[in-house]
Parts: sequence; structure tokens; C-alpha cells
Amino acid sequence: MQTKKTGFLSSLKAIVCDPFTMFGVVSAILLLLLTVAPAKDYLSEWRGYQRQYLTFIQNRGDAVTLRRHFQGGINQIWIPQLDVVDRCQTCHVGVGEASLADVKQQPFRAHPPIPHKLTEFGCVICHRGQGAATTVNQAHHSDMTGEEPILPARYIESSCGQCHHEPLEGTPKLNQGRTLLSRYGCVNCHTITLPDGSTMQATDFPPPLTHIADKTTREWIYAWLKDPAAYSSTATMPNFMLSDSDASDISAFLMADSTPDPADRISSPAASKTPPADPTAGASLYGESFCASCHATQNEAGNLVGGTLGPELTNVGTKVKPAWLLAWMRDPKHYDPATRMPQYRWTDAQLNLLAAFLENKTDPDFVANVHLQPATKQQIAHGKELVMENGCASCHEIPGVPKPENFGPNLSRVGSKPLVQLIFLPGMEHSLPAYLSGKIRQPRAFGASLRMPKFNLSSAQVEAATTALLSLTDRSFSLPANLQVPSTPQSHYEPAGQAGQLMSSLNCLSCHSINGHGGTMAPDLSWEGSSVQRTWLESFLKNPNTLRPTLIRRMPKFNLTDAESTVLTDYIMTAYQTPSFVRDEMPLTGYSPALIEKGRELFYSRYACQSCHMVNPNVDKGYIGPTLTDVGARLNAAWIFHYLKDPQALRPGTIEPNQHLSDDDANALTAFLMAQKGGAGQGAKQ
Amino acid sequence: MNSPKDFTASVGADMRVTQKRVLFVTRRTSPQVKSFDEERVQAFPEALIRALLAIECLFIVLVFLSLFFNAPLEGIANPTNTPNPAKAPWYFLGLQEMLHYFPPVVAGIIIPGLLVTALFVIPYFDINVEAEGFFLRNYQRRLTLSMGISGALSLFLWFFDVYVALVPTLIIAGLMLLAALSSTDSPNRLRRYLASRPISWWIMTWFLFELIVLTTVGTFFRGPGWSWVWPWRS
Amino acid sequence: MMPSTIETYFNKIERTRVWRSIFRSGTGNSTLRNALAIQQNVFLHLFPTKIRKRMLDLGATWYLGTLTLGTFIVLVVTGILLMLYYHPSVPQAYTDVKDLRFVVSSGLFLRNLHRWSAHTMVFLAFAHLFRVFYRGAYRAPREFNWVVGVLLLLITLLLSYTGYLLPWDQLAFWAITVGTNISSAIPFIGAKIRFLLLGGNLVNANALLRFYVLHCAILPISAVLFLAVHMWRVRKDGGLYVRASEPSAGSTHQHASEELKKQ
Repeated sequence: MQTKKTGFLSSLKAIVCDPFTMFGVVSAILLLLLTVAPAKDYLSEWRGYQRQYLTFIQNRGDAVTLRRHFQGGINQIWIPQLDVVDRCQTCHVGVGEASLADVKQQPFRAHPPIPHKLTEFGCVICHRGQGAATTVNQAHHSDMTGEEPILPARYIESSCGQCHHEPLEGTPKLNQGRTLLSRYGCVNCHTITLPDGSTMQATDFPPPLTHIADKTTREWIYAWLKDPAAYSSTATMPNFMLSDSDASDISAFLMADSTPDPADRISSPAASKTPPADPTAGASLYGESFCASCHATQNEAGNLVGGTLGPELTNVGTKVKPAWLLAWMRDPKHYDPATRMPQYRWTDAQLNLLAAFLENKTDPDFVANVHLQPATKQQIAHGKELVMENGCASCHEIPGVPKPENFGPNLSRVGSKPLVQLIFLPGMEHSLPAYLSGKIRQPRAFGASLRMPKFNLSSAQVEAATTALLSLTDRSFSLPANLQVPSTPQSHYEPAGQAGQLMSSLNCLSCHSINGHGGTMAPDLSWEGSSVQRTWLESFLKNPNTLRPTLIRRMPKFNLTDAESTVLTDYIMTAYQTPSFVRDEMPLTGYSPALIEKGRELFYSRYACQSCHMVNPNVDKGYIGPTLTDVGARLNAAWIFHYLKDPQALRPGTIEPNQHLSDDDANALTAFLMAQKGGAGQGAKQ
Repeated sequence: MNSPKDFTASVGADMRVTQKRVLFVTRRTSPQVKSFDEERVQAFPEALIRALLAIECLFIVLVFLSLFFNAPLEGIANPTNTPNPAKAPWYFLGLQEMLHYFPPVVAGIIIPGLLVTALFVIPYFDINVEAEGFFLRNYQRRLTLSMGISGALSLFLWFFDVYVALVPTLIIAGLMLLAALSSTDSPNRLRRYLASRPISWWIMTWFLFELIVLTTVGTFFRGPGWSWVWPWRS
Repeated sequence: MMPSTIETYFNKIERTRVWRSIFRSGTGNSTLRNALAIQQNVFLHLFPTKIRKRMLDLGATWYLGTLTLGTFIVLVVTGILLMLYYHPSVPQAYTDVKDLRFVVSSGLFLRNLHRWSAHTMVFLAFAHLFRVFYRGAYRAPREFNWVVGVLLLLITLLLSYTGYLLPWDQLAFWAITVGTNISSAIPFIGAKIRFLLLGGNLVNANALLRFYVLHCAILPISAVLFLAVHMWRVRKDGGLYVRASEPSAGSTHQHASEELKKQ
């Protein structure tokens, strides 16, 4: 053993000492080491996945097809115009194989069906990540400048929003998020410029605080400032996390800043305190006037019932002063010209009834513990400072406080904000979605000096808002113009003339949309004049309850005078006509019985319209579409004919299927429908 | 003097049999031969193979590094997004560290300019060819001079809060003091060594020390806003 | 058995006409042949034919100059290979580097090798400088070679610095921005110099192209030229420096001069 060891040592010594032998040895080591480079290449991650894939498809029934489709090596989608080099398919080999749709093992699952071809945009434009990379870590998780980690699937709709600036049917979360950004006044402080150059507009209309002292008390303002959600769970006003003294000072300033409005004082009728004869009369009037279409109230079970267009009225009695309430209901536009509340033509008796009903909706606890000392000058001055610091005037009109410019950071490209520029909270996931949703959920956690208030949003709403913010990317600005699907341009249509004044006072556009302007709660009226018959419209405006009586949110009765409804009818029948056909090109009556009978057969057998519509309420069970029992008295024949031919052309987005009717069939169906004048159980004139 | 050749040389026919190294010393050339008659080897292949071997060993190290450590690659250049801190390559971090203390003209132009000039002229200003110990002659004057200069330099650095450069300066000054108090016959090896160092050695060592300290500090101990960070605490 | 076979085979090659037309140093292992091997080769003749045996020891030089040259050779070879995959344009430069990393076979290895060699070369050049200084090898008659050496160090730094920008990543961009901003501190002409360096007022595509040309043509060619001078001067200045005070094999300064006098 001993000799062997010394033998080994001496030969080692000989090698080390002789440079020529040493050269040989070192060269051998070097060559060996150099072979590691191609070996590393051969054993690279993506080759591993491709080998896995081949094993994976081996035992499948469609192995032959899949293997024929398989191409080894780097697979990439290259779209120079879009700056796309996506090598995702190198590992996600089966992404285009429909038969691998339900495969659990990633990265081999097929892509779920989408409206675009996979090769049209590549992967990264929607999913983010680094397309050029061929390692999982780099492709999915790189967060260096100019690179983004993969977008979690629950925010994927944001990617659609890079091109599509109008609401899409398939992106409810994105649509909701965009609505939230507008509705919660985010865009009042944060400017959001869209790729087409327009800026996102707010759709909430916070009340002006010019005459706030007429409307409510300082105590209520104080309690409201402290926690708006305590007054109403649907409050869009955020919580500014004010200290007691700050809230007190702001309320003092707002009261001191308020100027009295003469109309608010004289409007108080003496009778308002006398209890109504019928205790349920107020509630009935509230119901008949369809206040709930816009305003929500909490019922006994604690559920909110009603619309979200106007403020929640559950505790309105705690908030508003009776005199102001009466003045408001008599003429809302007087107090706030921008309000969406229509002017109902209520009588004084009705006004008192409603006011008394609303005044009873109170929550005494809300202001019970608020005891404020009279404010000093310093406190009022401090209150003004606070109002400016917190940017109250971004949303509210406050006398003497100008609307601040660019109060919050510009969010036009927030969806591409580099992670290195963000400061995360300890323990927070290092990703942009986590940051944005964290910022919306708990804005003040990111620093006590931050001014962003806390909004009263549910988790789903936060996720939706985050989705909408994530769609505001750099890429959306750099995409070729032909890929941009712009939102419908903002219309500022206002009806003109006498009818226009009337419609403005009734705020028709709060619910109806006309020529691209207005609300979405009620049908679009742009072509109403082509659609309906004059007599029907006139009577409908006086008593709207006749159409769709089963709906909870319905057109309220505005107590129009005959003159008013005539003016409106004339205007609608004249101004709101479709250019695609002449209204009176088909007669309202006089169709031959044979034609009507043919139409009936088509209705019931060939097209099975009764599965959605009702003509004979005793027999038909269609509840999906509107009832057609009296359609012949309501709609014009030409409208029905053209609507049947192509429903989407006249009512974009309607679910009425386009059956591609022949002119004859459409004619027969029109004749049948025009025969439905209501009344008779038979439903049709024989 | 004016003749084109001072000598004639020829090679005998038996050149291949015996070789003789012939040295011609003319008026125009004067190769200085510092040592002579020392054992020499043929450059080919003895020296070349060793050089090759050395390069190959280095290459092995480099290949090993390259196989298992990836070169850094950040995100694409973005003029609107300044990383904090924005650092120069490591060999300029000593300069960047100086930039932190002095105005750009001083730290960026004057100091490196002086350094490069100094490096260029070193061989022409090396008076002390014999390289004898700095404190072996004119002891009192040289001690005052060296302590005075290093004291002034330290004060200057202290005045500008350049503690990073002050510490090496003080250490070198301390070592010089130790050298001044030691003799070449000292039983302590370090003291014997220091006592025999010439002035050029002291200056260069000070420069090397500063270079290493400043570069190390710039590379590892500087964080956002060029603030001091501990590399093991992040 | 095997080695001798290889040797005979190699000897056969050495005797062929083609070989002899290329290498005129002859065959065999004689001293003359070995001397001719150096002399008759345009590259090797930069080196002396004989060197002191003492200088072969690792401790004498640490082979720092040789190793610096070694890194330079590695850099030239890998650099040329990298040029095949690289466009000096924005933002193509960055995607090219990404492609090197992700799709070019062994591209990542190639880039790593270039990068680490570059850092090593800067380090070795500095080490070489200090080693030469501490050995006193810059003294006459080697003053000029020291100057050439310092010049080579500066070229090395510039090579490394210009190469730093080429990947066009954040690291590159900001390092160059910080660096070139210093030059604008020069009184009066600072801004002009910066403009000249960058080919503009900002670090952008022009600067990239300029740095690319410097890095791939101007600086390497100057480096090769000065390297040749540097190594040739080592020979001309009397070979690798040996300290007079260093103990050597039975020879002293006086001894040498006496020998000279005798002749």
C-alpha cells in the first residue's frame, strides 16, 4: 500500500513538474469542461418539456395526429408590427390542440376558445410575461424594467381593454371596473387619458355644497365625514379617515361657507307636520312614483331594494331638513342644475305626503352622539385648509375652494407601472395587481401622509376596479391604430326647444339614451318615433304603467298635463326617426285574414316565437321577450317588418335572433302582429 | 564616429556546430545587462508551454465561471426610469465614490487626470534608483515632511467628511510612523521590511489601499441615494 | 507505444514540403531550431529566444502579463462570435442579447465568457501594473514600456467601458449615463467632449453605434498594436526584469560589467 501511494504521489509530481505532461492533462480537463456547454443546452428546460410532451401524448388515442403536429425546437409567434416575439409554444406545445382542452397537466393544456386566433396577437399581449424567454422563471416571473410577470387569470379581462374601449359582452369584470372608476369619482382626482386622446369622465354627480346649510345639519356632516358607510352602505363618498377634530373643523367650515338659498325657505308649507289621514298613503305614492327605480332603501330584512342612480334613502330623514326636502322634490334642478332627478309634477298634498314618508326614515343613532361646540374662527380656517388638503373640491362644488388640478397621480398608464417604482407593504405579494388592489382596499396603509381616501368597495368591486386599471397599459397607446376599438364617442346631445326644456326638467336622459347620450336603465329612444304609434305614445306618457307592468323598475308617472304630453309626443314622433325606412310605408290595419293566418302559423310553428313572447296569455308561456298581446296598437307596421328582418340593425345588442326572414314571411308575421290590438283573449282577429 | 559601422561581423561556416552568443556594444545602442551568465532556457518551447499552460488554467477558471454564473442582464434601457443607485462598472466605483464627496470637476476630472499623469511619469521621476528605505537618510526632515503631508491630507479628508478615504490614509501614516521608529536591523520582520521601504513604495501603497477601499465601498456598501448599506443585511 | 507513434507521425508531417514551407525553423529539438522557431515566426519573434530560467517560476511574475494577454485572446474570439448575433441598434441590441440568452445554442455561455473575461482582464491589468511597480520593473531602460503599459491599461478600461453599453439594458444605460456625465464637468469643453463621445446629447442609438465601433474596431486594433510594442519592448529592454538585489545564480551586477569590459 505504502509503495503504491508514494508511486502515485511521485507520478503526480512528475505530471505537475513536467509542463508538457501537465499541458496534456490541463487540456483534457478544459475539453471536458467545454463539453458542459452543449450539454447544458441539450438539457435545457424547454427541451425537457418537449420530451415530457412526447411521452405524455404517447398513450393517447390521438397520438398520431398530435405527433404529426408536433415540431421540435423553439416555436415562436413573430409579429414584427406588434413587437411580438412569443416563444411560449416552445413549452406550451399543445396550446393549439383542441383535443387537449381538458388536460390537467400544464404546460400542455389547449388554450380555451377566444374570439381571436392565437397567432393573431401572440400570447404576451394578453397574458403579459416575457415572450422571448425560454425558461419558466424568466418567462413567467421576470419583473425587470420593461418586463412584466404573468397576469393572474382573474385579471385577464384587463387585456381585452387594451384595444376594446367599449364594454364587451365577454368582459363583465372589466366593464364593471370601468364603471366603478367613473362612478366612484376616481377620475375626479386621477386623470385617465385614453389612447384616443379623450379622458375618462366621471359619471357620479356629487352634490354641490353651496347651500349645504339649508339641506342638512353640521352634526350630520360631521358623522357623515367620519364614516359615510355608517349612514348608507351604498355611499360612494369615501372615508377620509379624519380625526374627530378634523371632521368637526371641516363641518364647521362647510356650514360657515354655505350661503342660504331663498327658495329653500319659502317652500315650507305649514301643513307638513300634520300626519296624513292614511298612514300607508306615503308609501303608496313612493311606490307609484317608482322612486325605487333610482333610489334604494333597506327593507326589514336588511336587504337593499331599489336602483343605484340616486342616493340611498334608508335614513334620509336623519340627513335632510324638511323644508329643503320639499323644495327639492318640487324642483330638484333649482338646487342642483346637474341632478339626474326628474321634476315630478306632484301637488302640494302629494309633496307633503312624500316628505312626511321620507322624514320618517331615520336612524337616530347616527347623529345621537355627535355634540359639537360652536366653531371658532381658527377652526373654520383650519377646516378650509383641510378641505383643500383632502381635495374635497375635486368632486364637490365648494364656494371659495377651486377645483384642484391633477390632484392625484395620472393613471393613464398605471397598468404598465414598473414594479421597481412601487413600494410594497411588508408581506405583500410583489405584483402590480396586488399593489393596485391593496392601494384601493387600504390606501392609507401605504403611508399616513397619503391623501387617497378609503372607498367602500366589496372584494369583487376591488378586483373589477383593479382589472380596469390594469387595462391602462403602455401597449394600449402603442398598438397600431387599426387595432383600436374606440368607445362610442361621448355625445352631448340635448333635445331642443319647448320639448327639450320639458325633457330636461323630466331628466329623460337619466334613464333613456337618445342619439348616444343618456342612461342605460331604459330603452334607447333615438328611433322611438319610427317605432311606436302616436296615440299609444301620448297615452303612455300620461300613464306609463301600461307597458311591462311586471317590471320593478319602470317608467314613473310624472303627472304630465295634456299639453305637456302632446308637446312631447309631437317632438318624439317627428325628431326620433330612423333613417333606414319610412315609418308610414306600411298600413296599420287592413291586412287580409289569409295573410294574418299565415303569419300565425309562422309565429307558432315555423319560428316558434311563443317560446319567448306571449300573444295569447292563456296559452303562450314565453316570458323572455316583451308581451305582444297589444303590439298592434303600440308599434308601427313598418318597424315590426324591418325589425323582424334584422333586429340588431334597429336595436343593437338585442337578443332577438335574426332569422333571416324572407320578405313574404316578414310581411305575414307583421300582419299577424299588427292584428294583436289587445283586449280579446283570442288575441287575433279572425 | 562618423563611419556607418564601428565593426564588421561575420559568421563562420561551422555555425551550426557550435553556437556562441556575441554581443556588440556600439555607441548608438546600450543594452543594460543587469545580470549575466545566469542559467537561461529556450523560450521555445520551455517558456511558451508554460505561458500556454497558464492561459489554459485561467481559461478553465473562466469557463467554469461562465457555465455556472450568468452575466447580469437587467431590463431594457429606459431613460425615464432611473435605477437607484445607478452605478458605474466596478472599476470606476472608486471614482464614483469620490464624486459623492467632491464636485465633479475635482472628483471626475482633476483626481483621475492627476492619477493617470502620475502613472505615466512614474519611471521618469524615480530618483531613488537604489530604492533605499525612506527614513534611512535625513531622518528628521523626512519624518516631519511625511507626517506633515499625511496630517494635512487627513485634515482635508476629514474636513470633507471623506471618512472612507481617511481611514486608509491614517493607517498608512501609522505604518510610516512605525517605519520611522524601526531600523533595518530590527528583530521584527515587519518592522525590518517597513524600514527599508522607499518613498515611492509608500505613495503607491497608499494609492493601492485607497483604490481597494473605495472600490469595495462603492461596490458593496452603497445603496439607494448612495447611502451606506451593509451588504449582509439585505 | 502510443506517444511514440504520435511522435513519429508528427515528425513525418514536419518533414513534408508544405510544413517546411510554412515553418522554416527546421526539424528536431536542437537549440538552434528552438531559437529559429521564435525568430522565424512573425508573432513569436516579439518574444526573446531565451529567457532566464528563474523567470519561469510562478513566484517571479505570477504570469500576470501572460494571463492578461490570455484574457484578451479569449475576449477577441468570443467577441467575434458575439458580433455574429448582435445589431448595434435600439432596441434590437437588447433583444439580440435576450436571444443569445434564450435561443442561441450556448449563446448564454458565450456571453458569460466574454463578460467574465472582460472583468478578469481589467483586474489582471491592474494587478500586472502594481506587480511591475512593486518589483521596480519600470526603471530604466524600461520607462517607455511602462508608459505603453499604462496606455494599455487605459485601453483596457475603455474597452470594458464601451462594451458595457452594448447590451442596452438598464445597467448599461445608467452606467454610461453616469460615466459620461462626469466628462461634462470638464471646464469649457466638457459638454463638447460628451457630445463627441455620445454622438449626441443623450445616451441613445447614436451613442450605441459609436460605442460599438469603438469597442469592436478602434480600441481592439489599438490594443493589438500596443500589445505588440509592449511585448517587443520586453525583449528589447533586456527581457523580463530581474532585480539586482535578488539572489541569482552566481552572477552580480559587477560581474556583468566586468564581463562586458573583458569583451
